[in-house]
Amino acid sequence: MTNNGIVIQTRGLNKRFDTVHAVRDLNLEVRAGSRFGFLGPNGAGKTTTVRILSGLMKQTSGDATVCGYDVSTQRDSIKAVTGLLPESPGLYSKLSAVEFLEFIGALNGRNGSALNRRIDIMLDMLGLEGRQNDLLESYSSGMKQKVLVASTLLSEPKLVFLDEPTSRLDPAASALVKDIILVLAQETETSFFICSHQTSFVEDVCDVVGILNEGALVTLGSPQEIIENTGTKDLEDAYLKIVGGHVDRKTLLAWR
Amino acid sequence: MVRTWLAIATAEFQVLTSSMRRNRKLYTGILYTLALVWAVVLTPMIYNAVLGAIFPMHVLRPMLMVIFPGLMRTVGLFLWLILLLFPLSMALQEIKIGQWEIFLSNNVRTRDIMTGTFLGKMGLYSLIIIALAPLLVSPFMLAFEVSIVGQLLVYGVVTLLAMGTIWLSNFLTALVQARLGDSSRGNDIAKALAMAIAIVVIIPMYGLMFFLPTLSEMMGMNAFLILPSTWFSDLISWIAITFNGIGLTGSQIMGFSTVLQLDMLVTSVLVIGFVLGTVGLALGAADRVFTIEAGVRTEVVTTVGRENVILRGIRKVSTGPFGSLIVTNTKDFVRKAQNLSKIGYGLILAIIMPIIMMAMDIEYLQFNEMILMLIIMMSLIGAMPFAGTGFLESKDQLWIIQSAPSGASRFVKSRIASQALISIALALIPSVILYFMMNLTVLEFAKLLGLGYVAVIGGMLTATGVTARNPNYEDTKSPAHQANVMTSVLLAEFSIMGAMFADIFLTIGTGIDFFGMIADFFGPGNMMVGMAVMGLLVQWIIAGVLVWSGIRYLSRPDS
Repeated sequence: MTNNGIVIQTRGLNKRFDTVHAVRDLNLEVRAGSRFGFLGPNGAGKTTTVRILSGLMKQTSGDATVCGYDVSTQRDSIKAVTGLLPESPGLYSKLSAVEFLEFIGALNGRNGSALNRRIDIMLDMLGLEGRQNDLLESYSSGMKQKVLVASTLLSEPKLVFLDEPTSRLDPAASALVKDIILVLAQETETSFFICSHQTSFVEDVCDVVGILNEGALVTLGSPQEIIENTGTKDLEDAYLKIVGGHVDRKTLLAWR
Repeated sequence: MVRTWLAIATAEFQVLTSSMRRNRKLYTGILYTLALVWAVVLTPMIYNAVLGAIFPMHVLRPMLMVIFPGLMRTVGLFLWLILLLFPLSMALQEIKIGQWEIFLSNNVRTRDIMTGTFLGKMGLYSLIIIALAPLLVSPFMLAFEVSIVGQLLVYGVVTLLAMGTIWLSNFLTALVQARLGDSSRGNDIAKALAMAIAIVVIIPMYGLMFFLPTLSEMMGMNAFLILPSTWFSDLISWIAITFNGIGLTGSQIMGFSTVLQLDMLVTSVLVIGFVLGTVGLALGAADRVFTIEAGVRTEVVTTVGRENVILRGIRKVSTGPFGSLIVTNTKDFVRKAQNLSKIGYGLILAIIMPIIMMAMDIEYLQFNEMILMLIIMMSLIGAMPFAGTGFLESKDQLWIIQSAPSGASRFVKSRIASQALISIALALIPSVILYFMMNLTVLEFAKLLGLGYVAVIGGMLTATGVTARNPNYEDTKSPAHQANVMTSVLLAEFSIMGAMFADIFLTIGTGIDFFGMIADFFGPGNMMVGMAVMGLLVQWIIAGVLVWSGIRYLSRPDS
């Protein structure tokens, strides 16, 4: 299912939306069992890349394989071995958490008592016990995010795409997601491709980080390497140095 | 001092005219000029020509004079309901509590919010009034030869009616929105209410179309004096009578006063009182309306219980993942108030037509003659609830579905299966009602239910295919939603009717008697049944193609 231990390989991947060049000549390799962090400013092309790699969007040019399958011709095979946590929750407001997860399980060809047991355990683990039969319309955004995390992992994917997994979570839930990722990667060889703006989360969880700016991959390496190469004290400073974004005090007050 | 109401009104107007934002002023000017030309020049000219050609005014005038007060009340009620409920229905499709937070956090006075949102809406509704009012009022102005001053006064009253009613509607909208809150549940209830309101408008509209004389007679009754629309209509009647140019005699005017009951002065006081009262009420209550209460009424947590016998039955019949998909899809559909409201709307539309036809006491009304019309109405019931919304809530939901292998295909197929189950009720309810109302035989009932179910499914498949090709998610105000509903309903209905027209043209064109062939095939007296079967065949072929292309469209990756 992997190609010489590589789960994601892209060669000159490009995506254009009319005049916007969202992804530029992306060449990337992600090893099996690794936790790849994809950093970049808003609109840098992170979500577009994830959508192409998970078989939801066509690239304009270039090639990519995911778990050994071609993104242009073997999309269903890719979907069968990957899980996707989208950027915003697309839940059914009139289903309960259990019902929604049953729906996702059924879409992936699973049902029955084994699925139900797995759903119960996951909801317990994520702290949703006692609320699992409430309609999702009454859930807070953090609770919805937890349901989405559960739906992504439900079918035991070999590769998980997480688009902003902790953006709506409180610190305790973020820590829980972090632990789940680390345990799954270590114990089950699951690979993770994580898009995030939270540099501290990426620094703690990921073993490889790629920084995307205006559609192009500008930096690749372990968090430590990136910090050392930029001569900064942490990944946030390194990110700001690479992408830009430091605003001096004079500019900060210029609007007054 | 900054006039905050003006800023709000400007923003509302900008939202309203966003589609023509490049040349907002120019297009607005053109639209108003066209509307004014229509009102002042075209409408009187068309009426004069048409009425002159069909009924000379000296023939028509006595008739118009007799039904004038009752008819004016009917027209007034129609206009009032549209102005009151249409904006309310539109606004409920998009809860805007989030904007109130911005207003209130910027220390805007609540009465400024009320005034600003009202004035913002006036741009569109005044256009509607300018277009509609002359159409309704002109025949009477011509019949009574009302002087220019009288006509100006009449249009003044119509303007007052419009502004007062829209102001009230604006107030009611804010009130309902505040109670529902900006939540998923609140939005659902709001959309269901919007649909229920549409039914209230539809019924008098049907009345106007089919029962005009009866309705005018009914509206002449004193009981209708309690309706504000009656006061406005009566004032228009009084102005037309007072400023008439046909020399009404004292006894004729006395005749009108016995029908109108209240004299001009009392009617004027009631009209002005109503307008001032609603303005005062809305401004006085503004502080209590624009409150953001963390959704007390909307933060109701619904906990699902054990599955009912039908859902358990589905699981027993279809034990695999497909059965689970049918069950979850069914739950999602029937738990949404807006879907149930659309079903109710469709059922009322389907049942009201035969009821009206029976009330009109048409002698040749036989089941076998009506079956084609009934089948067409049943396909409407099938198309309505499943077109536009109720399919996918958001693009993100589609991403999730698409991220499963063959996810979109499994989703659409299971959705169709669950909708086919819901459609059993949609075919059964009107069939049973019509069985009793039309005194059908058991065989006729079986024909209606059988063909009706096929028609409902045909409509449902059409709507599902159309919506899958162009999903509009939850946005009921979007052009995509309007297009989906219109296309689904028209395709579902006209595919059946189209078969009939095709037969007519083929018969004329080829000289072969297709109607005779159908009558021969289905037996004597069953020609309409045969036409219905032929129509349904065409409808199903179109629906099948639409579903197939809809699945392909939803399954393909974004480009």
